[in-house]
Amino acid sequence: MVKPIVRMENITKSFNGVRALNGVSIDIFPGEIHCIVGENGAGKSTLMKVLSGAYSPDSGKIEVDACSYRSLNPVLSKQLGIEIVYQENLLVPTMNIVENIFVGCEESRFGFSKFKSMKSKASDLLDELGLSLDLTRRVEGLSVAEQQYVKILKALVKEPVVLILDEPTSMFNVRDSEKILVTVQQISKKGISVLYISHYLKEVVRIADRITVLRDGAVVTCFDNTNHDVPLSRITQEMVGRSIDMFYVKSPHKIDGTVLRVEDLRVTKDSPSVSFELRRGEILGLAGMIGSGRTEMIRAMIGADRKFSGRIILNNKEVSVDSPRESIRCGIAYVTEDRQKLGLMMGASIVENLTIVGLMNKIHGYFVNYKHHVALIDDVYRALRIKAQSPLQEVRYLSGGNQQKVVLGKWLFEDSDIFILDEPTRGIDVGAKNDFYGIMSNLVEHGKSIIMISSDMPELISMSDRVIVIRAGRIVKELSGEDITEQNVITYALEVNANE
Amino acid sequence: MSNLTTTQRLRIGLKDQRLLLWLIIIAVCIIVDLLNPRFLSLDNIMIVMQQISVVGILTMGMALLLITGCIDLSIGNIMVFAAVIMARIIMNNGSTGEAVIVGILCATMMGLLNGLIVAKSRCMPLIITLGMSNVYYGFSLVVSNGKFMNFNQQFEVIRKTRIFGVVPIIMLSFLVFVVIVSAILLNRTKTGRRMVAVGGNEQNAYLSGIRVSRYKVLVYGISGFFCGIAAIVLAARLDSITSSAVTANYELSALTAAVVGGVTFEGGRGTIVGAFTGVLLIGLISNAMTVLSINSYIQKIVEGAIIVIAVILSNLSNMKHQ
Repeated sequence: MVKPIVRMENITKSFNGVRALNGVSIDIFPGEIHCIVGENGAGKSTLMKVLSGAYSPDSGKIEVDACSYRSLNPVLSKQLGIEIVYQENLLVPTMNIVENIFVGCEESRFGFSKFKSMKSKASDLLDELGLSLDLTRRVEGLSVAEQQYVKILKALVKEPVVLILDEPTSMFNVRDSEKILVTVQQISKKGISVLYISHYLKEVVRIADRITVLRDGAVVTCFDNTNHDVPLSRITQEMVGRSIDMFYVKSPHKIDGTVLRVEDLRVTKDSPSVSFELRRGEILGLAGMIGSGRTEMIRAMIGADRKFSGRIILNNKEVSVDSPRESIRCGIAYVTEDRQKLGLMMGASIVENLTIVGLMNKIHGYFVNYKHHVALIDDVYRALRIKAQSPLQEVRYLSGGNQQKVVLGKWLFEDSDIFILDEPTRGIDVGAKNDFYGIMSNLVEHGKSIIMISSDMPELISMSDRVIVIRAGRIVKELSGEDITEQNVITYALEVNANE
Repeated sequence: MSNLTTTQRLRIGLKDQRLLLWLIIIAVCIIVDLLNPRFLSLDNIMIVMQQISVVGILTMGMALLLITGCIDLSIGNIMVFAAVIMARIIMNNGSTGEAVIVGILCATMMGLLNGLIVAKSRCMPLIITLGMSNVYYGFSLVVSNGKFMNFNQQFEVIRKTRIFGVVPIIMLSFLVFVVIVSAILLNRTKTGRRMVAVGGNEQNAYLSGIRVSRYKVLVYGISGFFCGIAAIVLAARLDSITSSAVTANYELSALTAAVVGGVTFEGGRGTIVGAFTGVLLIGLISNAMTVLSINSYIQKIVEGAIIVIAVILSNLSNMKHQ
């Protein structure tokens, strides 16, 4: 029997008390293509980052070549022959392909780089993989797909034992992805093991030798896919399927007529046209995989980014929304997803953060003293149940959940009518999550409406009255009532049915 | 619960830092006074106040800029231009009133222009204002023809009016006026709260409905206005001006004082009182070196080192919080 070259055993990793990985064990055999699938937040990326040494696990061990390690670091991981190709572009745009491939491991003699020898090495590699690229071209002039090749080549010149590919085809059209898949198969034929992460299940079934399914930070199952015949429906079943206690039970509430209609919204000239509506007292869920364009759509809608076209009809009256300021005037709140970058002044107090939007309409007069605002925000502060020493405490000392509450709180203080929540509970603990769901229920009971972008499946299903599934910037399906199930959402979000 | 105690510890640490500044000021005073008892005499203290009046006014503008997440390295040259144009008007037999109005107007316009360029081009304010600094220097060369210019003792009254024969009350009132206006603006007006919001997190401010560019332009304008006021004090102190007065590196002194006083480069943090404490400390140290007759070349070295140390310290305290 062949022995695995890498074994990860019982890996556990938490971030701020939130379990990202919970006792994950996985092994990799030489030359196999091992695919990891799972929903957003299932722990795929975290697991890969543990292997590449970017994160060190809280417990568990990693065995490489019969040596056991408690944790790796990026240097050690590279020495052991583990290379990772991230989704993000880490190339130097002004350098040519050869220079990029050899960044950090340039061949040189007496300090002068040996360009010719590097170039010939790179072109050998290209031939082996059956690719053709002009190696002297600058990276900035390459297409996204070609840049992806450069990233893969850059990893391959280090002659790795294991190559990790994180969503290598996520930005591609069908033809380009096809080429990448062939390349991946070529690589595994060279005897290099490939760990392949992807949302595209069809690709996965086509190339994988084994498929491991992760759910909520744990391995659910591992399919043997040597014959490339594992049914997609079985994979999606394993990806979903949760126990009932993970779902929040919201109280029933009244849903009336339409408050907001969005018609023919197009982010850029080439993006698909999107239309939807929102009713009073409704929670509308926007489902989709990460990168499906949900946030871009919403930002264009509220005028934070420029949009190509689109009409916003609020209470049967068309309004112009070309800046966040105008959307606030219309009573639309946008609770951003990245609280540190977009949602908070970390160095300012809770009060200052809570009143920053309300300064315009809710606080009268020109001269103000934010210490006196403590009384004004009292209701919001209590409703949110923020755990802090006082409302004057600086936001950066709060936990993630409490920070997120402050982001929501500034819109509660403004008393908006329509709340757009972008990943409202990402990375916060269960207690704070439940507080959030309670506040959301309370809002809709009082006739407010909510649009919720969420990648958290239990949250999406238990909170939404209606779900719109988005894929590649397009609305592919609207689900309501009994049809809102994990299986349905995943199926449409992943394009399982597309050509069937 | 360990979380709570850490935050408590950090809060105490923060307060200590402000305290630290005052402790250093007191320590400097005591030590220097022991070495030379003239240091803490009323006469010398008033000399210090006069010396810091110009930089102090500029520092308030710089502090407001930094808190809004901006910077202006041309404030020295804006002030010099305002002074030069005032001198030109006076030398051409214009009235003092005219000179003051035109000077302040020019300085404000120059600040606003910087703000417009920074806000609209979205380029790094550091480089933009460094470039504009040279432009304004060129303007003052053109207006003065590169020569010494005289205020014909028009502003002497500011320097010479003294209570009890020592306290230059008018000159000080300029400084006090600017400090109080800045403090009220920043802490007690909606404008000020929005400036802090822009500096604290520009994206957040934009998404919270704040017109970011408008506040940036405004704060550059305010800083320019302060440059105009500083030009009057400068005119009173020197009674003559040359374009190259800028070799005094006023903008750098203002930056140092603000940073020493706890205003950070990242924006969103810092207080006017803190910045003023910074001005005071820097003023005391440089006066102490003169009183102790330390070589003026050495003085330059110390001044430079203070900038570097202040920046490192402010960065350290930031890192501690993360």
